[in-house]
Amino acid sequence: MIEEYNVLIASVGGQGGITLARILSNAALSQGLNVRVGETLGMAQRGGSVQSHVRFGEDVHGPLIPERGSDVLLSLEPAEALRVAKYIGKKTTVIMNTHPVLPTSVLLNETTYPEIDQILSILRKIGGSVHPLNAFELAKKAGFSRSMNIVMLGAYIAVGEKILTLDAIKEAMAASLPSRYLEQNMRALEIGIDKMR
Amino acid sequence: MIGSEESVSLLMSNEAIARGAMEAGVGVVIGYPGTPSSEVISTLMPVAKELSIRVEWAVNEKVAFDIALGAALAGTRCLVTMKSAGLNVASDSIMSAAYGDVNGGLVVYVADDPGAHAGMEEQDSRLFIKIAMLPMIDTSDPQDAKDAIVAAFDYSEEFKTPIFVRSTSRVAHMRGGVKFGPIQKTRKPSEFKRDIRRFTRASPIWCMEQHTLLNAKIEKLRPIFERSKFNELHVPDKNSRIGVIASGASWNYLKEFIARHNVKGLVTLRIGTVNPLPERKIRDLIGKVDEILVLEELEPYIELYVKTIIAEEDKRILLHGKKEGDLPKVGEYSYDLVESALSKVLGIESAEGTPELDEATKSAMKLAPRRPLPFCPGCPHRATYTAIRQALRESGFGEDEVIITGDIGCTILGMHPPFNMCWTEVSMGASIGLACGFKYAGIEKPVIATIGDSTFFHAGIPPTINTAWKKTDIILAVLDNRITAMTGHQPSPSSWFTETGEKEEPIRIENIIEAAGIKNVRVVDPYDLQQAKFAFLEALKAKGPSAIVLRRVCSLVARRMNMINNPSFVDPEKCTGCLHCIETLSCPAMDINADGKMTIDSATCTGCGVCAQICPFAAIITGGPRND
Repeated sequence: MIEEYNVLIASVGGQGGITLARILSNAALSQGLNVRVGETLGMAQRGGSVQSHVRFGEDVHGPLIPERGSDVLLSLEPAEALRVAKYIGKKTTVIMNTHPVLPTSVLLNETTYPEIDQILSILRKIGGSVHPLNAFELAKKAGFSRSMNIVMLGAYIAVGEKILTLDAIKEAMAASLPSRYLEQNMRALEIGIDKMR
Repeated sequence: MIGSEESVSLLMSNEAIARGAMEAGVGVVIGYPGTPSSEVISTLMPVAKELSIRVEWAVNEKVAFDIALGAALAGTRCLVTMKSAGLNVASDSIMSAAYGDVNGGLVVYVADDPGAHAGMEEQDSRLFIKIAMLPMIDTSDPQDAKDAIVAAFDYSEEFKTPIFVRSTSRVAHMRGGVKFGPIQKTRKPSEFKRDIRRFTRASPIWCMEQHTLLNAKIEKLRPIFERSKFNELHVPDKNSRIGVIASGASWNYLKEFIARHNVKGLVTLRIGTVNPLPERKIRDLIGKVDEILVLEELEPYIELYVKTIIAEEDKRILLHGKKEGDLPKVGEYSYDLVESALSKVLGIESAEGTPELDEATKSAMKLAPRRPLPFCPGCPHRATYTAIRQALRESGFGEDEVIITGDIGCTILGMHPPFNMCWTEVSMGASIGLACGFKYAGIEKPVIATIGDSTFFHAGIPPTINTAWKKTDIILAVLDNRITAMTGHQPSPSSWFTETGEKEEPIRIENIIEAAGIKNVRVVDPYDLQQAKFAFLEALKAKGPSAIVLRRVCSLVARRMNMINNPSFVDPEKCTGCLHCIETLSCPAMDINADGKMTIDSATCTGCGVCAQICPFAAIITGGPRND
């Protein structure tokens, strides 16, 4: 049995990071693994930074991943990957949506938003393998931009761990997502898998 | 939530507490919303009817506690939920209730917030409850939280005392597997026997008699708590003479450290009963080691107690904790903090990391732009603060001239740029008293107090009466978005629906203000900037107290209930790219296109029309009401 596996999901409120955490954690639980999830929930609806720590395996106790301890960082927004840099280590597989969500301070030139290439090169320096994709564009092209998070889940399935089975993840999706959007989300999942395979 | 027995579900601790209450046969669950405690009640709402549990939000924590106490006196099992600040509000009754009995179990769940995630002070309620002298169990994870609630009901009923169960943000919002037990559906018949000597305090003789009885209860409970499963002493065969005491979230970090580093020989004590503390187990531990590390967040509460016992035992023990400054009193603990404290005591080299990599990590984190919390798209509070700003300018006041006292909830977001308009924030309802205080001190310019509807009902009414009574010249602005928004949209008395979604006649804030004695009251729609500005202009001129109720439903609720307008859009021919809209409103639905002109994201815009009213070039067109 696996000792511990740590998935960090970094997002901006409204992007669906918390939903992803729910899907992964329920899939892990259905496979009989111990699960711990820690979330910064307070301002999730209001455009703030949201981090979900999903941990599964034999020896997970605390709600948060130790520093440098992420096995996978699933970042739904580029700058959010930088914000959680302390959880990235050499073993971390980074999967990053390259479509930014700009805070107003950036629009008004009060602060700057780093270039995507700069972000990627930093992530390559402090992390392990880095897999960028424009999940927002992919979802938008397919006609459902709100399913960007599920495209990212597909990318996770393609390049992340092989502990959680595709069936377990699909079952967890069916349990966690509104049924009327399930078909669309299953397609978004395939788009993500195909893109990164 | 009504899952089958023995099944394991992934629950947040707050949800597990709700499940624990179901298994304990609770009859009344009541509280006031407050992060990180709110999910207990929202979890129980959908199953309330089926299980015949009365689940409600009250106007404040004291009212919630009083109702629960009454029901518990009559034999019903009751759970009251609140955040740490709510405990302060309820404390007047809690201190007194401690002297009486309860007939049905009465459990108070309080969630503290080390790390100030919810933006209030880092109060340590373990110290607070020492004043009331009431029992308290601290929790570490979802399963533990559920077990604590179930046990607390039994203890409460057996010892006829209210019992506290505590968590902290990290524990309250942690998810983990929870094993379900049977749901208790039978209830005790209601009855309350007259025993005035036991349940009134005004006679000094009776009161001191009750105080003696309380002390006796706690002494009887002490050995039971001591032996409960919430305290675990682990002594390995080959003991390294080093002991670690951990409580709350820290217990998880300790267990994880032991697993990750394959540590053997540590004597560990997990403390769950924080009042009364497990004195014998602490003495046992002291007898087995030469060195102790105490892991607890916030105040050195357990640490000081351990120190006292070490002194009593006359032992030479090296005690590590907060007193030496090794571990912080501020903020929450993390695995890494605990790892470094333990590594130091155990002489383990911490692995990983080079200065170069540490530096790269730090600078990476600095590169991420801040995301200050804006008002949501269509938030009526954005409109209100805009109207106040316009009225102040037209009255000839500069940015730094008129004091605005803010209050708790979404209305306080007016403290952020581009508004910077809430000068103070103290506690629920305090904006009104503070505004009066500024006038008492002789501030001649107008003083405005802003407060939300739920906050007004919670603690804003007595200071409103006081304002009217003393005829203090302040402007009271009640930002009535008809819901308790910040904590997750729980109904307030201003809502038009109940917790379970049934229609309800709202209580009108203007009627209360008028009845309190403030005659100059206006009700306006903040989306109508002209009208709202005019109300403030008039109030700024008026002498004596005046009040403005700015009524418009929270835009998140409006979206959910399909009550929003079609999105507004920009006429690129007219937009000059001056960015006045973004600079003054900072609406998340606004963006800038490649030509430097403003654009509106149609998916997030709620069509509130406020930006259209402030655009100097009339370049923004409102979408109008939706027909679907």
